Amino acid sequence: MTAVLEMRGIGKAFGTVKALDAVDFDCRAGEVHVICGENGAGKSTLMKVLGGSYRPDTGEVLLDGEPVRFQHPAEARAAGISIVHQELSLLPFRTVAENIFTGMEPTRWGLLDRRQMDERARSLLDRLGSSISTSALVADLSIAEQQLVEIAKAMLVNAKVLVMDEPTAALDDHDAHSLLKLVGRMKTEGVAIIYISHRMPEVMAIADRVTVLKDGRHIWTRDRRDVTINAIVTAMVGRELQDFYPARGATEPGSPVLEISGGQSRYLRDINFSARAGEIVGVAGLEDSGKGALARALFGDSPLAAGEVRISGQPVSLHSPRQAAAAGIGYLPGDRKREGIAPRQSVRDNALLTLQAMAPALSSPNGGARSRQKVDQSLRHMDVRAGDFGQEISTLSGGNQQKAIIARWLMRNPRVFVFVFVEPTRGIDVAAKAAIYQTMRALANEGRAIVMISSDLPEIVGVSDRIVVMHQGRIAGELPAGAEEGAVMQLALGVAAAATGREMAS
Amino acid sequence: MTAISDTARATRRLSLRNINFALVIFVVLYAAIVVLQPNYLDAALFMNFLRRAAPLIILASGQLYVILSGGFDLSMGAVVTLVVLAASMLIGGDPEMTWVVIASLYAMGLAVGLANGFIVSFLKVPSIIATLGTMLLVNGLALAWSGGAPRGDLPDNFRNLGRLVLKDVPLVGSLPIAVLILVVVTLLAWWGLHATAYGKRLLAVGDNPRAAELAGVPVKPTRISAFVISALSAVTAGILIGGFSGVSVNAGRGLELQAIAACVIGGALLLGGRGTVVGALFGALSLFALFTLLNLLGLPQALRDSLQGVILIAAVGASVLRHRRST
Repeated sequence: MTAVLEMRGIGKAFGTVKALDAVDFDCRAGEVHVICGENGAGKSTLMKVLGGSYRPDTGEVLLDGEPVRFQHPAEARAAGISIVHQELSLLPFRTVAENIFTGMEPTRWGLLDRRQMDERARSLLDRLGSSISTSALVADLSIAEQQLVEIAKAMLVNAKVLVMDEPTAALDDHDAHSLLKLVGRMKTEGVAIIYISHRMPEVMAIADRVTVLKDGRHIWTRDRRDVTINAIVTAMVGRELQDFYPARGATEPGSPVLEISGGQSRYLRDINFSARAGEIVGVAGLEDSGKGALARALFGDSPLAAGEVRISGQPVSLHSPRQAAAAGIGYLPGDRKREGIAPRQSVRDNALLTLQAMAPALSSPNGGARSRQKVDQSLRHMDVRAGDFGQEISTLSGGNQQKAIIARWLMRNPRVFVFVFVEPTRGIDVAAKAAIYQTMRALANEGRAIVMISSDLPEIVGVSDRIVVMHQGRIAGELPAGAEEGAVMQLALGVAAAATGREMAS
Repeated sequence: MTAISDTARATRRLSLRNINFALVIFVVLYAAIVVLQPNYLDAALFMNFLRRAAPLIILASGQLYVILSGGFDLSMGAVVTLVVLAASMLIGGDPEMTWVVIASLYAMGLAVGLANGFIVSFLKVPSIIATLGTMLLVNGLALAWSGGAPRGDLPDNFRNLGRLVLKDVPLVGSLPIAVLILVVVTLLAWWGLHATAYGKRLLAVGDNPRAAELAGVPVKPTRISAFVISALSAVTAGILIGGFSGVSVNAGRGLELQAIAACVIGGALLLGGRGTVVGALFGALSLFALFTLLNLLGLPQALRDSLQGVILIAAVGASVLRHRRST
């Protein structure tokens, strides 16, 4: 078999960050080639280069042996490369047939040829073994059916290469199973399929070859026969440990400050969780594992539907961020731009925001604890670097913004008992990262409980005193400080469920 | 240390420039008026100018609260119309009734403001649509109630609020009651926005509602109160307008857009999060000076609207350009 698609030495940098570094990749007709890698390993960037959304800085893409350079996703699609994205890109209030033909509607004398459109849509869906009506509205379909429509859309252009980016992430077991059968059928039609997935059982069930990416580099490509789940996991996480994590607390953690028992919500099941004074609890998990939902529940943003929450032994109700803040929970969002800063207000006003929110509405905005002297002291204590604390916060770097938001909660000293950090160092440079870790450790040493939710495994392992791993809305397990990254990854991947994968294969 | 104080000075200069923009326009326009009519330099005539500008300034101060919270209040003009018509019908020429009726006018304003706030906060209807709805509703109700031809008169003690001028006041010579009310309202608006924790919350809500909410700011009450303040300022303006213009079914027509224009000319950012009461004050004064100038030039009334449009677009364009250059 020759390769339909070859990517040679692909490199792509965003600013100073190398998202892809000389990556080689190929895919043959009639094979399923799975790409594995942690969040941020470069999988999506590679596929965006392939799909024409990004232009590579170096390297070349060959299709059927011919070099191609796509300027726009439409060109890639016309050349036979179809991508089924994780977030479906269908128009909800158009019919199935209209969606399949979006952008390439058949016409007769300049008018839409609806009959031809319906017939061709029907035959495509039949080929996929689906009985969805071509005139149904996409909004009325299940997610699995919508995915099928996406695939039909891909087949309309006689896709030579079909990219599926975590297609089963949103599906239940039954639908996932049907989807895998469908992938098998596409394969026999001679389509080259690139399949991105975090689910190891699934990978073992459908892959012909497996490629592992890590930190934007190609680690290896092997035949399915020659790999084990453990080999994949090791390759995904194996990297040099960095030494900028602060020393762990010398003293034993104290009594539980935050306790959740029997927590339930739309995204969470059976959550029993606690954080003790003086410890940093790391919460790890994949993108859809529920770790984000746990953070939002802790901060009253999407409250638990059932279960009990106690802070320092007192039951509290966390039904809004305001209640959570009043109860003594400080929240440091990962997406600072969207959830953290008020960009046009001064650094000072941003640091004071929670105090202003909790103070009587008509009180002076710079009296008592809110005096300029106190804010500046707090900002300097956090080492926020700004020419003038009166300047707009959007002019500061990400790390300095993060520190100003920490100052916002520290100003409420000593009423904050629990700090919830979500992706504390996302988009922050290495030097500022170390400073944030030092701060977290210092906060813990002062007797507060720190909950750190992070997708960054080295960070989880390097900083946490205790690691809670989530998988599909549940707590999959707990690991002590200094656990292996591989052990965390295995819990996060739900590898214990490998047996179902073998069933799928048979 | 010197580096820090240098940047501090730079930012102070920058914020001064923001205010200056509207102030400069006002001075230029007023100078043009003086060229045509030198007696506009008299204290008495300037006071009279302020008296007539008072309703627009008061409306702009109220509108500013909503704009800073990230919204628009299009229902202000309708509230003014309602106030004028309701006052004439409820008082029915009986001076005894004046103060009771004024209290009930404020109650009506409160109701409209709460309705706007609740629709925007809880039904999540964009404020431009929500207040367009209440504008039509309030206007329609006011007209239906008055039957299109308002009955009843406003007694002198009501009208005096808008037109009485105190003579022989030390320092300023003459002092219209409306200007006194204007000063009190503007000071209140300034205090609420720039000297309270509430003002800081309002700015944060308009700047980034999600971040404000996660920082513990009560976003919904803050938004609702902005609409209430806006509606109450519209009632105040309506009482003054009824005072010096008398009863008319068109009393409030188009005032909401003038108020928005005044805020924007005064440097308020249309998407919220930035703006000052002083800016809105000079924005309103500029707009009113422009109207006066056009009257003096004898331009037809219809051109007023067109020129207002040009000024509004120019002001927004200038603020966008200024912002783009700064980032």
